[in-house]
Amino acid sequence: MRLLIVEDEVVLREQLQSQLRKAGYAVDVAADGAEGLHLGNNYPFDLAVVDLGLPKLSGIELIRALRKNSRAFPILILTARSRWQDKVEGLESGADDYLVKPFHTEELLARVRALLRRAAGVTQPVIHCGPIELDTGAQSVCVNSQLLELTAYEYRVLEYLILHAGQVVSKTDLTEHIYDQDFDRDSNVIEVFIGRLRRKLDPEQRYSPIETLRGRGYRFTLECRGA
Amino acid sequence: MPGGVTLSLQARLLIAATVVLAAFLGLTGLVLDKAFRDSAETAVRERLQSHVYALLTAAELDANSVLQLPQDLPDPRFGVIGSGLSAEVRRADDSVHWRSKSALGIEIPATDPIQIGEWRFRQMTSTQGVALFTLDFGVAWEDARRRPQRYIFRVAESFDAFYDQVRRFRRSLWGWLGAVTLLLLAVQGGILRWGLAPLRRVADDLSAIESGSAQRLSGSYPKELRGLTDNLNTLITNARAHLERYRDMLGNLAHSLKTPLAVLRAAMEPKTNDGDLRRITREQVDRMSQIVEYQLHRAAASGRATLSGPVCIAPPARKIVAALTKVYGEKPVQCELHVENDAVFYGDEGDLMEVLGNLADNAYKWCRGRVQISAHTDADANRTQARLVLRIEDDGPGIAEEFTDQVLQRGERADPATAGHGIGLAMVQDIVRLYGGCLKIGRSALGGAAVEIRI
Repeated sequence: MRLLIVEDEVVLREQLQSQLRKAGYAVDVAADGAEGLHLGNNYPFDLAVVDLGLPKLSGIELIRALRKNSRAFPILILTARSRWQDKVEGLESGADDYLVKPFHTEELLARVRALLRRAAGVTQPVIHCGPIELDTGAQSVCVNSQLLELTAYEYRVLEYLILHAGQVVSKTDLTEHIYDQDFDRDSNVIEVFIGRLRRKLDPEQRYSPIETLRGRGYRFTLECRGA
Repeated sequence: MPGGVTLSLQARLLIAATVVLAAFLGLTGLVLDKAFRDSAETAVRERLQSHVYALLTAAELDANSVLQLPQDLPDPRFGVIGSGLSAEVRRADDSVHWRSKSALGIEIPATDPIQIGEWRFRQMTSTQGVALFTLDFGVAWEDARRRPQRYIFRVAESFDAFYDQVRRFRRSLWGWLGAVTLLLLAVQGGILRWGLAPLRRVADDLSAIESGSAQRLSGSYPKELRGLTDNLNTLITNARAHLERYRDMLGNLAHSLKTPLAVLRAAMEPKTNDGDLRRITREQVDRMSQIVEYQLHRAAASGRATLSGPVCIAPPARKIVAALTKVYGEKPVQCELHVENDAVFYGDEGDLMEVLGNLADNAYKWCRGRVQISAHTDADANRTQARLVLRIEDDGPGIAEEFTDQVLQRGERADPATAGHGIGLAMVQDIVRLYGGCLKIGRSALGGAAVEIRI
């Protein structure tokens, strides 16, 4: 999952970037509203974390501009203003949730996960797909109740496929959503991840959870429950 | 008029009164002048007519049936050259039959034929350029053989006397009118000064408050200003109360931050191990964050009721519900809004949203699937102003009676495992108290908690 952080305070921006990367997300950052708008308009993000008091373009203006440009990804507002009037204004501008500063990292991560799940039409943190169980909170995967050892990128690929279960996901989509802007991308690596995931998820090739659609991409085939 | 010169009220009223007065007295002067001119002209005509009658009386036919006028005429001015009053008698063919001595050097231009018995009054200029009033009278005189002989009797009077009279009248008229105008303006100025004196007194009293020598507007003001001065007094009292509140809050904030700071300082001693230091830091940072959040909210609450207009409950309630529906998107909550049309809040809209937001947020957080927000005015209360009753209910676990006092304390939560600062209810209670209202926690028919507020 690829996230955008728009925060002008350098230390907080770096902390957020590091914490969200550590939590397994690809993270791009912008230091002001104008840069945030440029990134938001031009890259396929899964969620944006937007501070309200931004230079050049305020957080509210940024959210309105993104929504006007039909950018539908969830937006979480970070705000130092905790009055309900400010919260309502932020949510009315098109944001999906708010978090008042100062906040605990756990709370931020919980909100981010909830918004990502909600955007995928899933409401529960644990998603069951046949024998596979994906816990978005713990970022763990079990097959037949056995915990799997996955690398961060393998987890990102699997989570993206499960949250888009039944849909065709191209290699480009996967690349764009699991890597941030600064990463040196190689789409062949995706094939390697898919191969490893297949071996780990279905060593006896009984379920074939990930289907390859030649020239088009991949599809997670198992039916998922979590809504 | 920002940026421009703003005239004082007194100057505005004085200018308006001057313009109206000048227009009124000017028109009055013009009307009087016209009336006087008309009346003077009528007098001239009547005077000339009497001269014509006198001439007719003096005229007689001689033995040759020729009309003769005596040397000594009734008015001696006819015999004095340049007296300004002259007479002549003309024949039917307009040739001069007789002229008075005073007509020497005055040639009156020929006029249209005149009928017998007809009077004709005119203003004209002699061929020498002298302005005159003339009165002609056509008459037929029978000679000895009873043949009618037609004559025109004409009397002319110079304009000078008329002009003098009109000039004298005008001088006197405009002089008096000017004097009356000045007098009326002076009276008007005095009235304005007297009438606006209470406003000046208010301004002086406000200056006294500004300089610190007075606490409120305490003078006796006319009833038209009493509303304004009462409101100003309320505003001043509110501003002072706010200042007092901010000062208290700042003091409270500074004092309450000292304890966690002291704990942190003690934790930085070398003997504290890393795990404890991290735990203590986290606890104290949370505590400080909670203190700052609570005091910020208290400071932001306006508590303004006296000068606030009514705020309808329905629009902000709908906004809060829409916001919470979005935030709790994962939870299927059915929210019923029962807000009566006349349910209004006399206060700051931000405070109302704070109350509604905090209570509805709690209801959404704890409910199983149903939230009910209702607002109405308490009709049976024996008060001059109806009380607003706000009730927020949910079908959650509710708040046990032994915890109701506890949850109203800052930082206290019935369930410490749930996210939040634990200041929502305490904050709501503070705002409600600022407006002189009360908050009650009870059990809802839906099965969960019911928080009722009466303001």
